[in-house]
Amino acid sequence: MGREVSESCIDALITEMVSSYCNRFYVNKPEVSARRIEAIGYQVGIQLSERYTVERPRFSEHLEAIKFICKEFWSELFKKQIDNLKTNHKGTFVLQDNRFQWLTHMSINASAETTDSSQQEPHSPNSTTLDANLLQATSMHLYFPCGIIRGALSNLGIPCAVSADASNLPACSFVIRIKA
Amino acid sequence: MQNAELFTLTYGAIVRQLLTDLEDVDEVNKQLDQMGYNIGIRLIDEFLAKSNVSRCVNFKETAEVIAKVGFKMFLGITATVTNWDVDGSSCSLVLEDNPLVDFVELPDMCQGLYYCNVLSGVIRGALEMVSMKTEVTWVRDMLRGDDAYELRLKLLKQVPEEYPYKDDE
Amino acid sequence: MQFFGGTSEVTLSPSVPSSIGTGPLGSNAYMLYLFNRNGVCLLYKEWHRPLKTLDSNQDQKLMFGLLFSLKSFTAKMDPTRVEKGNLGVPLLPGEGCSFHCFRTNTYKLSFMESPSGIKIILVTHPKSKDHRENLRYIYNLYVGNVVKNPLYVPGTAIKCELFNTSLDQYIQTSI
Repeated sequence: MGREVSESCIDALITEMVSSYCNRFYVNKPEVSARRIEAIGYQVGIQLSERYTVERPRFSEHLEAIKFICKEFWSELFKKQIDNLKTNHKGTFVLQDNRFQWLTHMSINASAETTDSSQQEPHSPNSTTLDANLLQATSMHLYFPCGIIRGALSNLGIPCAVSADASNLPACSFVIRIKA
Repeated sequence: MQNAELFTLTYGAIVRQLLTDLEDVDEVNKQLDQMGYNIGIRLIDEFLAKSNVSRCVNFKETAEVIAKVGFKMFLGITATVTNWDVDGSSCSLVLEDNPLVDFVELPDMCQGLYYCNVLSGVIRGALEMVSMKTEVTWVRDMLRGDDAYELRLKLLKQVPEEYPYKDDE
Repeated sequence: MQFFGGTSEVTLSPSVPSSIGTGPLGSNAYMLYLFNRNGVCLLYKEWHRPLKTLDSNQDQKLMFGLLFSLKSFTAKMDPTRVEKGNLGVPLLPGEGCSFHCFRTNTYKLSFMESPSGIKIILVTHPKSKDHRENLRYIYNLYVGNVVKNPLYVPGTAIKCELFNTSLDQYIQTSI
């Protein structure tokens, strides 16, 4: 259909959606927020996969479908392919994007850089809980793309669970476990 | 710029999920507006940085800039500014094209839903950051059978800069 | 408050005392402040500031007050405009003329303000060049690395690693 919007629109919308669920709708219930955010991604994944597979024969193998996600699907969304695909040949796949677009603007505290030299204790008592909060905030942003992948595969007849690891920003690994 | 499909579908999925979670159309309208406002207060700086606009003092000029430059920059469309009132404090933004609503049909259960309410919130938030308190409301909505999308912008007041600290602190 | 007293004199071609040094790695930058429209100091950085006399809160408040008054004074003294408010009557952001730097014999202060009220203040060596382009660049860094950071909460102190590193790098190579 050729219509285009700025990347900032989608970035801003996702940021605000995540923040609304975590900070307004389900405060202190991160697991509920996570499920809702994942559900939104899931709906989007189903619809996108429906659109991108029109006029395409059914995938006969799981690996084919996963490769489709890594190449065509990812390219439609992010103008690049998944950088690395690994599998244990038992239904688990790891998709790594070395520079995941939705994480490129994300960064967390470099604590020592602040103003007061008096506050420069590298490991103050609060820093661990702070890190934990930030880690949770980061992970909240991963439920949406995880949901998209799960929705896309489910639309291709492949039920699965998807999780993600972004401990090495802006790289992100998605782990897909296909349900037998 | 990127394909609008992801944006449009994501927005649609958010509205659907909000309808399920909040179970009340008025509350959904309110939350969409709030989300828009929060987006607007962030997006304004990106807009100013990219457009090189260095002052927004005049409401008339600012409305034109939003319609011509802002909508183009973010949504790839332009809006028309019309229907100015006599004292120049309210006008309409008319959109004939709107990427938020591609593939959307409102089911009957959504009577009363302002599907695009995020947009009015964005404009309100962005204008507030350039010191213009406004009221933004929908006048026409194609999803409700009108022939275009029309937003009414009303300038309530321009907020001067105040010294933010108390004296002798 | 006494903004124009003391030892600093506003002059166009200051003579630079020989004791003035430069920051690390030869950068001319002394310090940088970033305020939002509510006067909250979102970021303070220093690269070269031997003399520290105030606590940081007080320091930031003074800096904000200096700019606030200076803006009001410069607009009031503008000989080219008919309409200008009385001194002390609040201005709309962007209203009236705007100043972009002043220089003393020991430092130069460069200033930019976006229509959204973001104020960036860069204090440098008194002989450093025009910094308007640099300030715009820093505003863009702020937009790209802070405003667009999904983890950043608007109005709070900036603690983004990406921003800190890119800012440091930029200051050291370009100022």
